[in-house]
Amino acid sequence: MRLVIVEDNALLREGLVALLRERGIEVVAHAEDGDGLLRIVGGHKPDVAIVDVRLPPTFTDEGVRAALEARRRHPGLGVLILSQYVEPVYTTELMASGDGGVGYLLKERVGEVREFVEAVERVAGGGTALDREVVAALMRPQGAEAGDDVLDRLSPREREVLGLVAEGRTNSAIARGLVVTAGAVEKHISNIFSKLDLPAGGDDHRRVLAVLAFLRAAQEG
Amino acid sequence: MTPLFPTAVTDPDQDLRARAEAAGRQAVHDLEYLGVGLATSVLAMIVWIAGVTVTLSLAVFIVGIPAVLASAAAFRWVADLDRRNAARELGAPLQAIYRERPDPRLLPRVSATLSDPQTWRDLAWLVAHSVVGLAFGSVAVSCVVHLAVLVTLPVWFWALPAGSDLWGVLPIDGAWGALLAFVLAPPFALLSVALLRAMATGEARLAAALLGPPAHAPGATTGARDASVRSRRRVDPARLLPLHAGLALLIVAVCTLLWLLPGTDYFWPVWVALGLTLTVTIHDAVARWTYARGAPLGRILAVAEVAIALVGICVAVWALAGGGYPWPVWPALGLSVILGVVALVLYRDRLPWTRERVLVERVDELTRTRRGALDVQAAELRRIERDLHDGAQARLVSLSMLMGRAEEHLADQPEVAALVRQARAEAGAAIGELRDLAHGIAPPILVDRGLVAAVQSLALRVPIRVTVHGSDQLGRPAPVVETAAYFVIAESITNAAKHAGGAPVRVTVAQRGDVLVIEIADTGPGGADPAGSGLTGLRHRVEALDGTLRVGPGEAGRGTVVRAELPCAS
Repeated sequence: MRLVIVEDNALLREGLVALLRERGIEVVAHAEDGDGLLRIVGGHKPDVAIVDVRLPPTFTDEGVRAALEARRRHPGLGVLILSQYVEPVYTTELMASGDGGVGYLLKERVGEVREFVEAVERVAGGGTALDREVVAALMRPQGAEAGDDVLDRLSPREREVLGLVAEGRTNSAIARGLVVTAGAVEKHISNIFSKLDLPAGGDDHRRVLAVLAFLRAAQEG
Repeated sequence: MTPLFPTAVTDPDQDLRARAEAAGRQAVHDLEYLGVGLATSVLAMIVWIAGVTVTLSLAVFIVGIPAVLASAAAFRWVADLDRRNAARELGAPLQAIYRERPDPRLLPRVSATLSDPQTWRDLAWLVAHSVVGLAFGSVAVSCVVHLAVLVTLPVWFWALPAGSDLWGVLPIDGAWGALLAFVLAPPFALLSVALLRAMATGEARLAAALLGPPAHAPGATTGARDASVRSRRRVDPARLLPLHAGLALLIVAVCTLLWLLPGTDYFWPVWVALGLTLTVTIHDAVARWTYARGAPLGRILAVAEVAIALVGICVAVWALAGGGYPWPVWPALGLSVILGVVALVLYRDRLPWTRERVLVERVDELTRTRRGALDVQAAELRRIERDLHDGAQARLVSLSMLMGRAEEHLADQPEVAALVRQARAEAGAAIGELRDLAHGIAPPILVDRGLVAAVQSLALRVPIRVTVHGSDQLGRPAPVVETAAYFVIAESITNAAKHAGGAPVRVTVAQRGDVLVIEIADTGPGGADPAGSGLTGLRHRVEALDGTLRVGPGEAGRGTVVRAELPCAS
């Protein structure tokens, strides 16, 4: 796996490099701002870029903007956003910006080393890894007058499963989490796919589309 | 023994050189200030003479009305040039408070211009500067020319016609004269530097007094004012008063003793006593004036003291001269008139017709400073948020990263690993609390993308349907306005989620001229209490920005509409 890091805080950047090296993942390049991201992505052709949201010079959403531009220039690039705050709008923008894995995790999740490394690998492989807080923020209770919301077609259990899919959990992890059998999870997921009118195709791709549908629905609501 | 100059602990030569360099730089600075002042003084003279004569001669016709505006604008333009020049000299920006002229119609504008005290202070500056600036600037330039002549004279004295002299006293048509002139150059240079300093300081103080905010305005933080505070601290007239009085008594006593010596019979020491009485009285009056600290009564007493002493001395002189025509009546009358005028000037703020003007000025000033304070507060809060993000939060994240790595290495010691995991959870909780705190100051997306994006993001997180109407193309209002608008919307949506029975909420954000209008409408059962604590807090927030907040039933009496209007002129 080829991985690059864009983080302006040296403490965190070095920490990440060391942590990933211990897990056998080599960081091929790192940068400190949005222009740097575009440069190293162009030069090193990584599978995944770990990007901070606030970067110089504006210290606002520079990282998200640069990541969107990088995905436009290099389709298929996986982007894992690490941020100190949850922002569903940025997640949706990234998910909608084309192929390739997308992750949005709070920075402190890095401390859960095993889960974090799994998330990095999943995003590099084209999957999703959304922070549970992002999912929780979007998984709002249904409104009394909510109209033609695609999520309303799902049963509460299916919504729960979809949320876990969005976090990037595998079927067996979802089964463990909900204390049901793997077969039951598969049944829920195929129900979700058909209720969201997702075309037949690769399971991974359909999972991404389902998450995207979920995010869109949340956005439009 | 303590050193005479405790600061001179370094090499004295070096210290001297540094001080000489500083003085040289200051002299160049002063020269530049006075030179520019010379140029603007000529400009000022042309502008004020032209402005006043044209306006007065046109005043009989209707065209005199626009001429007032044109003249005031020209005065202000020249005054602004001098403000910039004086700001460099004072080392602090010099900003006057011009009355706002919101009414664009001609007559109200003319009336506002004429009643704005700053218009008249500008004119006063132009008149004063066209004399003082011209004189000081000319003296400064002449100092430089003279210095150049003194230094270079040994090279070209032979070219001078026979009988030439300098300042009418120094013959410089010969080699000795030229050499003498050259020797005189250093003391002349020192004198010039001191003179430049004095003139530049004087002119800058005059500029600060007339071109800065009025003295009673709390925003008057000009360099000149600081300087006057410093000088008051340096010379304390009251401390020297006993010495002065004692010395005076001693002199009178000595004179009396001298008089007692045989040979004189006219009691001349009375004149010495009268003269010293006057100096001591003036000294006491100065101390009184200083300690009055602007209180009119103290100042009037100080002036009255001098006046009474003068009248007393006149009466004494009259009596000593053997009476006759009671001429001291006239100085007494004149001094009474002066005292009356002084009282009138000092108490002018209490006169009914100026009181209103003072209040208007005060309101202008308070409006400006309140807004300034709020802007500073908003900027400060955002800075704190950024510092938290880059500082404490980043360190805690780094900590939890390190503990995660430690945990990985502790697979064979499950008890210790559990402790580390617990510690990491604590760090995570601290990060979460800091995040909530930062979010309460201003949500990151509000800072990053503005109001509409922030409300859209908020809409994603609430359990009711929220539609947002507004353009992202809005010019970004000041942070303080933006944050207030965001919290009005957030609180209103929260209220709607609680009380509107799940009814959808419609948020509209629009900018109409210099007013940001936000409206949050739901179609729930209505009945919001405008005096409720949440709404009262919002109202305070909005009113502090001179905005309005209205809460009432929606169209056809259904639902609740919260409407806030926030001035956002930048």
